[in-house]
Amino acid sequence: MKHLIILIALLVPSACMSVTLDGWMDYQTGGDSLSPLPGRLELGGMLSGNSWTFVLDERYSHRDSTGITPRVLGSYSVTDADLAIEAGPVTLNPDVRWTVDLGEIPEMVLPDAAGAAFRRGSIRPGLTLRGSLAGSVELFASGRYLNRDLEQADGYDLDWAETRLEGGASWATPWGPTLTVAGLGRNIRSDFIGYDVSWSRIDLGLGLAKDGLPLDLQVQGEISYSIYDGTDYTDRDIADRLTGRVRLTRMVIPSYLTVNTTFEAVFDVDGDDFRTACTSGEARVLYRLPITTVVPSTVSLTGKLALSSIRTSWLELFTRVNVWRGLSLLADARLRETPTDVQLAGPYRQRLTFGPGLEYRFGEQVRLWGLVEQERTNLQEVEVWWRMRAGLELYPGTLSF
Amino acid sequence: MKPFARLVAVLVPLALLTASCVGPTDNTQLIVNTNDCTGCSQCEEVCPYGAVEVIDGNAVIDPALCHFCYRCVEVCPEGAIH
Repeated sequence: MKHLIILIALLVPSACMSVTLDGWMDYQTGGDSLSPLPGRLELGGMLSGNSWTFVLDERYSHRDSTGITPRVLGSYSVTDADLAIEAGPVTLNPDVRWTVDLGEIPEMVLPDAAGAAFRRGSIRPGLTLRGSLAGSVELFASGRYLNRDLEQADGYDLDWAETRLEGGASWATPWGPTLTVAGLGRNIRSDFIGYDVSWSRIDLGLGLAKDGLPLDLQVQGEISYSIYDGTDYTDRDIADRLTGRVRLTRMVIPSYLTVNTTFEAVFDVDGDDFRTACTSGEARVLYRLPITTVVPSTVSLTGKLALSSIRTSWLELFTRVNVWRGLSLLADARLRETPTDVQLAGPYRQRLTFGPGLEYRFGEQVRLWGLVEQERTNLQEVEVWWRMRAGLELYPGTLSF
Repeated sequence: MKPFARLVAVLVPLALLTASCVGPTDNTQLIVNTNDCTGCSQCEEVCPYGAVEVIDGNAVIDPALCHFCYRCVEVCPEGAIH
């Protein structure tokens, strides 16, 4: 007992020394004829000491269908509490995520044709342990347990629980490449409906990064092979997966033009069958206007294309022009194509969203913005609607004790 | 090589390579681009199967629960799921 008191007496003052508090708030709202006044409020704070941080983040969300896609969760609150304690080369990181469903009780489709259930919320405690050996080997292990509060229409609790155990190591070799080995085990069970599914994965990865190239270019290459053991919802084996990714970042052409590109190729290995699972490419060009302003004036053009069993594409032009102090004019135009779940429409849906906006920044502490958009989307016919979106972000700064 | 020519020299081969590949017609595991994902949870909100979870700021899709309804793909505001 005496030793415990001495230990606490030593730890408490050192923990209380040079404590800082950071806080933030982010509120977004908007509305159109289909989605009246959805909103999202996030409040958070971080306490930091010499060797620890504690983050508490509370988010309340009320959204409906953003037009047309049905939402399972409409109104809900999420509380995240995350503590990280450093002890030499080891970091211990317990966390908990607690979700409460509000408003209309949402429905979840159960596996194995077991019908539907009503969702009240969930709680997910987790623990992560990270460590480093000799500066070049990083180890991690984490475990998460998710308990969903699910009830059938007659009020029976489904006793639904999910566990996720992960662990791995990465070694930054003295020759340049980084080698990674990781494993993941997952179990989902509901005793009430007799559902018990497990799957696991082993990942082997090799990463390379090179900078100091012409055009100030950074190149990152990754190749990984994931070995799966388990089945999907149709009881078909989950195929092993080979993924290759090349990223060219911060390619400065002249000093005011930056280009980032990513190319990814993914293959599924299913027994003797080796097939392309997905190829995707993405490019982002950022042009910084050659004028000195409080907030940088920029034009960014982003294009994405992904081809798998579905096709998705994205083209966006976003402009911010600073006109006076923290005041900027915004303009956004986005054209995208995705599959759609809307009845009698599709299978693909094209959407064009465009509109002007305003943004005001009070230093780094406050950002206020608003956009008026028109969306044109082809469903059974081309639908057009207007939408307003606005937001307020606050970062009051750091308080020291 | 002039700046614009350098840009074209990098982007065009990548675009051609992507466009020349044809994906499978069969359903295959969805991919979350963790560079683009902001952890906004909109995918979690629309999934009727409870297959999507946000872990450490990124969406994670469970291959055992996903039924390929593609609602998450449709609502993702960053186009990060494909």
